[in-house]
Amino acid sequence: MIKESLISEFQKIVGKDNVLTSPEALKAYSYDGTSNWVREPDVVVFPTSTKEISDIMKIANAEKIPVTPRGGGTNVSGGSVPWLGGIVLCTTKMNKILKVDKENLTATVEPGVVLQDLTLRLAKDGLFFPPDPQSFLGATLGGIIAENAGGPACVKYGVTKQYILGIEVVLPTGEIVNLGGRTLKNVVGYDLLHIFISSEGTLGVITKAELKLNPIPPARKTTMVVFDDVAKAGESVFRVLENGVIPDKIELLDNWVINRIEEMMPMGLPKDADAVLLFECDGIAEAVEKETEKIVEITKKYGAVDARVAKDADEANKYWLARRAGFAAVFGKAKTVFAEDVTVPRGKIPALINRCKELAKKFNLEIVVLGHAGDGNLHPAILTDISNKEHYDRAVQAMDGIIEAAVEFGGVLSGEHGIGLEKQKFFRKVTDPVVVDMMKNVKALFDPNNIMNPGKIWD
Amino acid sequence: MKDLKELKKIESFADQCMKCGFCSFFCPVYQEERVETSVARGKNFLVKEILDGKQEFTDEMGTIIGKCLLCKRCVANCPAKTQIDRVVVGARAQMVKNKGLGFIKNFAFRKVMANRKAFGNYVKLAKAFQWMLPKTEGNIRHLPDFLKALGQGRNIPAIADKFLRDMVKPVYKPQDGKPAKMKVGFFTGCAMDFVYPELGLKIIDFLTKRGIEVAVPSDQSCCGAAIYFSGDFETGRMLADTNIKAFKDFDYIVTGCATCSSTLKDYQKYLPDNEDQKKRYEEFEKKIKDSTEFIIDIMKVKPEELKLKKEFEGKTATWHDPCHLVRYQNIKDQPRAILKGLKGLKYVEMPNADMCCGMGGSFSVYHYDLTKKIADKKMDGIKATGADIVVTACPGCMINLIDNVLRNKMPQKVYHFLELVE
Repeated sequence: MIKESLISEFQKIVGKDNVLTSPEALKAYSYDGTSNWVREPDVVVFPTSTKEISDIMKIANAEKIPVTPRGGGTNVSGGSVPWLGGIVLCTTKMNKILKVDKENLTATVEPGVVLQDLTLRLAKDGLFFPPDPQSFLGATLGGIIAENAGGPACVKYGVTKQYILGIEVVLPTGEIVNLGGRTLKNVVGYDLLHIFISSEGTLGVITKAELKLNPIPPARKTTMVVFDDVAKAGESVFRVLENGVIPDKIELLDNWVINRIEEMMPMGLPKDADAVLLFECDGIAEAVEKETEKIVEITKKYGAVDARVAKDADEANKYWLARRAGFAAVFGKAKTVFAEDVTVPRGKIPALINRCKELAKKFNLEIVVLGHAGDGNLHPAILTDISNKEHYDRAVQAMDGIIEAAVEFGGVLSGEHGIGLEKQKFFRKVTDPVVVDMMKNVKALFDPNNIMNPGKIWD
Repeated sequence: MKDLKELKKIESFADQCMKCGFCSFFCPVYQEERVETSVARGKNFLVKEILDGKQEFTDEMGTIIGKCLLCKRCVANCPAKTQIDRVVVGARAQMVKNKGLGFIKNFAFRKVMANRKAFGNYVKLAKAFQWMLPKTEGNIRHLPDFLKALGQGRNIPAIADKFLRDMVKPVYKPQDGKPAKMKVGFFTGCAMDFVYPELGLKIIDFLTKRGIEVAVPSDQSCCGAAIYFSGDFETGRMLADTNIKAFKDFDYIVTGCATCSSTLKDYQKYLPDNEDQKKRYEEFEKKIKDSTEFIIDIMKVKPEELKLKKEFEGKTATWHDPCHLVRYQNIKDQPRAILKGLKGLKYVEMPNADMCCGMGGSFSVYHYDLTKKIADKKMDGIKATGADIVVTACPGCMINLIDNVLRNKMPQKVYHFLELVE
């Protein structure tokens, strides 16, 4: 519990309306986008400036109160759940896009800017911010940077860390520092900027960011490719790339997901297909046209039974709507869902899919596969029920198996969700103890009192 | 054991939410406040806490559950298809059951609004005192009691000198003297009765001109929107029964108010307490037609054959989608077809046409400041069109749009679409 006197200190800093302590409000800040990680803070504080955050951090550090930064709370790792109570520092009211610089293709934003709001604003200038976590309707830039989020467009454009030029950070001591800068190249000493990207809110509070932008490509085209074997779909992913075509997105839906989507909103997906791949190419119209032709040719050569090129934007949107509905389809069908985030080198996608199938058989479970096949980041989802212990135990074993497989194939435990609470159990298992120690030492350097988002990543 | 009957009815809806938080982007209230208790995900989580016995019906809980426009933008955009409107209304109903309505609402709903005659007298009383109060052009500044809450300095259109109920005949025959092509019951609704009676007459005229016999049953009552959406299901059911009885002899019941048509249709969704009620409400739903869909889908009127009133010739119009039309009834093409078809009128689509105007019935009474902020965004959309007139089909929206157009000193006039045609 936090002392009453401190609550009034916070009220003095951010104003009375920006400090919430009612039991109902605390409950509303006890969760994120995951299903089972719930823990209430003692207070929710809404700063509106870097200075306010700095003042709050000074108090928290002196009193050793845990601080969990939170934006839209759409993350799926437990990252913004205040696991040890304390302060939820909610940045949703710091949501100004401070500058869009067309000359330098950059934007300056506050941490609470919602990605979709940024996208809409940038579109007015013909620009876009390429990282595209699928939580873009609620995800805020501070969290996107702290989690190093990615999405389907990673195949061609990469993830968040490739698009952050600089950040302003408030350290646990209250000091305000700028890391990185505004230039594309920057080798002035250690790259501390990138220590904060994917730090999951454990090192400091990101209060401002300088983003790198791209011009919106003038044309795009979607192709849906149908397979009678999900492993063949996996192979087609790297075959297309090795033949010189880099689509901006390659997404995979397996038979189970296709059928659930068709139940939810019939849109003519091939229900008997074992899997479909959705390709999108973007760029100059002529190039997009040629690349699309090549995708059809190559996927057919490697076993696709059908390839449908979307004739217009409406048809393309329909396919992408289906992809976005994928997770809802999965979550709607089970009490508890383990949505894995394993990522493997692309060549190992068929092997990983086959292993998922074997594990499903071995443990008698429903394991469905969808995800960003193009970058090797699959989201195998295990359908279970936490209240059914026997079933749940089998699901946990299968999850262990998937993660072991990913590591065995040279991949990683999490591609874009982060460790947070959800993946802690596996983090230690698959991370070199020396590396874990190095991380802890880095953490201690920035945050000696361990107040920043404690209880995450390795605990 | 605490009574959770109404909540149990919506438990399966609450379970649908997977906490993705996408609703935050679509929620007009969250967009202003940026606090989790404003948005569907937060409300849903708290309702689930009540169901799990971890949360009580506190006053704060009442405020949180109350602070929802029921605009259903979140529902329309929810990847998990969570019907948060059902959750919110169900929670309100449970609260009313367990804790009672506050006295003002209690008096207003049960004694006044539910009694058609009393409501009329009450509004008349308010009208009688209008002259005492500071006035702006044609607007009331203050009204007694609960109507006063609606005031708060807002520009309310003047209460009519004579109510629709006092003007109408029980039955109107087709104007051409020929046998009626169709006989319909006309549901007036409160706003048309007390504020826009001439609009009610206009609808009757429109229909009878085209060979339709229109009856206006005098024992019809309020649709019940403000009442059952606030959680007073008991009074809501009473009104449902009154209206079902009043209109039992008609195949179609037509209304010019989007909120009324959706409310009457949705008795079956929110109110049933048993199978018999459910069946009767479902039967009733089939008869209800909003004026927009009745004209296009049932009468099969060709929009290009409608004649635009002279005063609107050369004007540019834009359409505001009432929540109760576009999301509650999925009606969006019919009114646009009418506006686009009218010769002499130019139509421009407004950005965010389907955004709530911020009224939300009694929401705007309790959260007028929020209403204004939400409406300002609507006004930005209207300004961007450069339109001369804003057209809609809900007197509730009209009241709020007029208020905010005036408040923002904008030149646009607000009309019901039927006011545009001969």
